[in-house]
Amino acid sequence: MAKYILKRILYMIPTLFVISIISFAIIQLPPGDFLTSYVATLRQQGEDIDATAIKALEEQYGLNQPIYVQYGKWMRNILLYGDFGLSFEWRRPVKDLIWERIGLTVFISLLTILVTWIISIPAAVYVATHQYSFLDYLISFISFVGLGTPGFLIALVYLWIMLSVFGVNAAGLFSEQYINAPWNWDKIVDMMSRIWAPVLILALDNTAGIIRTVRANLLDELNKPYVETARAKGLKERILIWKYPVRVALNPFFSTVGWTLAALVSGETLVAVVLNIQTSGPLLLRALTSQDMYLAGAFVLLLSALTVLGTLISDILLAIADPRIRLEG
Amino acid sequence: MVKRTMQNQRPISRRTFLRLSAVFTAGAGLAACGGEPPAPVAVPTVAPTEPPVAAEPTAAPAEPTSAPAADAAPTTAAESGGQPSSYNEAPMLAALVQAGSLPPVEQRLPKNPMVVDGLEGPGNYGGTLRRAYNGVSDYYGPNKVQQISLVWFKEDLSLRPDLAESWEVSEDAKTWTFKLREGLKWSDGKDLTTDDFKWYYDHVLTHETLATQANTGRGAYITGADRTLMEAEFPDKLTAIFKFADPNPLFIYQVTRGQPFVPSEHMKQFHADFADPAELEAKVKEAGFETWEQLFDDRNRPLIDNRPSTGTWIPANTFGEQLFEMVRNPYFTQVDSAGNQLPYIDKVTHLIFESPEALSSRVIAGEVDYQARHMSIGNFTLFKENENQGDYKVVLGVTAGHIAFQPNHTAKDPKLREFFQNRDVRLALSHAINRAEMNELLFNGTAEPRQYSPLKSSPQYYEKLTKSNIEYDVEKANQLLDAAGYDKKDSEGFRLWKDGSGTLSFVIEGTALPGSTDEDAVQTLVKYFAAVGVKAAYKPVERALYTQHFNANEIEAAFWGGDRTLLPLVPQQNIFLGTTLDRPWACAWGIWRNNPDDPNGEQPPADHWINKIWALWDELVTMADEQARDQKFFELLDIWAEEMPMIGILGELPQPIIVKNGLKGVRPGIPIDDPTKDEQIANNQTFYWDDPSKHGG
Repeated sequence: MAKYILKRILYMIPTLFVISIISFAIIQLPPGDFLTSYVATLRQQGEDIDATAIKALEEQYGLNQPIYVQYGKWMRNILLYGDFGLSFEWRRPVKDLIWERIGLTVFISLLTILVTWIISIPAAVYVATHQYSFLDYLISFISFVGLGTPGFLIALVYLWIMLSVFGVNAAGLFSEQYINAPWNWDKIVDMMSRIWAPVLILALDNTAGIIRTVRANLLDELNKPYVETARAKGLKERILIWKYPVRVALNPFFSTVGWTLAALVSGETLVAVVLNIQTSGPLLLRALTSQDMYLAGAFVLLLSALTVLGTLISDILLAIADPRIRLEG
Repeated sequence: MVKRTMQNQRPISRRTFLRLSAVFTAGAGLAACGGEPPAPVAVPTVAPTEPPVAAEPTAAPAEPTSAPAADAAPTTAAESGGQPSSYNEAPMLAALVQAGSLPPVEQRLPKNPMVVDGLEGPGNYGGTLRRAYNGVSDYYGPNKVQQISLVWFKEDLSLRPDLAESWEVSEDAKTWTFKLREGLKWSDGKDLTTDDFKWYYDHVLTHETLATQANTGRGAYITGADRTLMEAEFPDKLTAIFKFADPNPLFIYQVTRGQPFVPSEHMKQFHADFADPAELEAKVKEAGFETWEQLFDDRNRPLIDNRPSTGTWIPANTFGEQLFEMVRNPYFTQVDSAGNQLPYIDKVTHLIFESPEALSSRVIAGEVDYQARHMSIGNFTLFKENENQGDYKVVLGVTAGHIAFQPNHTAKDPKLREFFQNRDVRLALSHAINRAEMNELLFNGTAEPRQYSPLKSSPQYYEKLTKSNIEYDVEKANQLLDAAGYDKKDSEGFRLWKDGSGTLSFVIEGTALPGSTDEDAVQTLVKYFAAVGVKAAYKPVERALYTQHFNANEIEAAFWGGDRTLLPLVPQQNIFLGTTLDRPWACAWGIWRNNPDDPNGEQPPADHWINKIWALWDELVTMADEQARDQKFFELLDIWAEEMPMIGILGELPQPIIVKNGLKGVRPGIPIDDPTKDEQIANNQTFYWDDPSKHGG
């Protein structure tokens, strides 16, 4: 097992290297660069910025160099100094910007994942074991709605209902008077009174998928001979279901659990944008649209690293949960 | 036939002439009445009985010499008032003075502070004004709220003193002399004198490496084709003399928002000639920059990192945070005529919105107190419907923007170039548009059919251009196009190129996205063109791509409004010249004029009328006499009326302004344009809450 893990970690290095190159190139693909839009904004504000100033800016930000030189410089600073570069738009170190938002992001994501699991796994097991019952239809109906409706749309509908029925602006994680207030009990209460909505909206999105997959898998397993055998031997139904077929049916769940690691950090961008929540998702989206390349690049790199790491974790989990898996290759 | 129509029109209509005379003789107050929706009767509760003396400049160029004070009172009351004898301050500052952490108000104010009265008179101290912003990229939103410099606009768009007590310009318009108020202070309490001007001139403007930084503002102090920097002299602590190599009569507009000075004591810590090298390097590194110039440039922006300012409100936390808070500047230099130090409102906050929906949701819930920026006319009905629920009012301002169409006279395709360069074709396209219908369909009839031209409230309003060729006349359009040689049509009824080589067509590029009011407008435009047999298609493009296209003259036609029509002589970038490339009506020529070495540029033919436009402009920017200068500008606009370089459709577009009930001193019908700080033109330091305790104390 240890050898397997070590080998997998070594594989991660070239993977990440390739990802970093590709992501850096993709960020550079759209026409223009950050300066194009920056200069346009300055001009729009009536500031007369002449050609020499633009040239000086290009030089300072290294934007006049070929892309591989820019990449090399960026990588060198990351590897040697842990310096992810400067965000052009914020004029602040990328590291600080991401770090500031990571706490809240991870908190919301963890909460969402927990809620997702608490709802989806029992529900999936229930609907599979009670196929074609009323509750099966109801839960399936809701989960199809959840699957078919993007989270941001539900968020919009939620905003509208809160406004038109209660006259309350439900966007944001805090009421205005608590945003800059130091943490205290009132602030926590205020947050808790608001956080459930984004968490539920995000959870609904994921819950539906998990219920559908686990239900289908479990239905396959329930008719297999080993279940019959166990039942014939007089094993209690509850223990039987949870100990054997559920474990197998959760296989696809474990193999995707790795991705949640990246999701923890990226936050659910669109829902966060609609609900005005200051997680890292909106930060990433802005960085991409304004071609703030070091900020966007650092994000993509971080997310890729977490995905690769998450895949490793899910492989290990799979090996533990499913005895049929062998650690070869 | 067309020619005759033009001949029938006199260069300046009688009405315009009368209007002009009114502006220049009867006084500035009258000018404002020309275009502005009726303002509420502005009667300050403490009416100034004395005619304003101290507050008026002695040699303001925009100042009418014979303005009867009585007549001017209703519209200019906001700026008048005698010099008060004693001063009051906000309770929150009085508490600090009591505690000994702040000097008393008399010591914080200049000797003769600028007196500004609100529309509804002296107000109550306290409360918070809530606004919205779009994060770090929206720096100018909060910045405009607090910006104060040497001079500022009156309601009629003439200028009044601000930090400067008076100013003078030499006859040749090459030398400007500013007299500062005595006892001005930065927001940290340090003296603001010409030492700060001198330091800025000696160590920033003329510094070898700093001068080319983006935010040094150097562009405001250079003149002529060879971009010569002004020279500066500072005979004493209160007098600044700027000497330009060329006549620069419009320079005064550069110091309405721009500042020819910096808080030198504060900025020294970021300057390599003054700071300790090791300390400075540590600062550069910590901030993530590579050079000290970058750090200096960044820290020299108001609102950033505790930089002392002259602003109305000063940052209380970091700009860019989710809720950016600004609090009153204890050293703010203005008072009302009762001697109350301004502003009345304690705090201004900006909450980030990540999406338009989040912003609308906030507005409807009544959480935005005063805002025009980011408020789209497309949401007008939504905002209006929810006025009661959110306890606010939607008032309308007038934007400088126009719905307009730019045919590229220098399109790469020679056939299209020939088409757009034909004056009859442009007239035909203008007559093909049913402006009244478009106005009803898209703006509920609130806009005005007009060409791209100065706003009615502009000192340079010119009716002849505004009204030229705006009649909807399909027959005339068809006649003009037929006569121009585009009379053959294909099987679908679209006109063919002159040589018969297929259907004439072009692409209109723009950044208006599907579903927006602008996109509806351009699609309607395409239909009107089709009705006279001209085939066009709209292609929405991403802004950066659009920029790339016009920078390379790869654009056929564009749909990108037209603003800067309130004070068209102010900005350096001017749409009337074709050099503002994102309105690419003369793309390759504009590129050439901006930079003759640019390979995408082309010199216009020697006999082309655009040369006349440029010559007129180059002459008028050096003319010291305001009246003669405006006449020159009208000559330029005559060429526009004659040639119709780009086709304006609708203008005087309404801009929704959200005003919370209970906010006093707000002027409706304000013109909204960048040089006048958008909705902040209206002396926001004199706004107040009728009951501050309901608005955060």
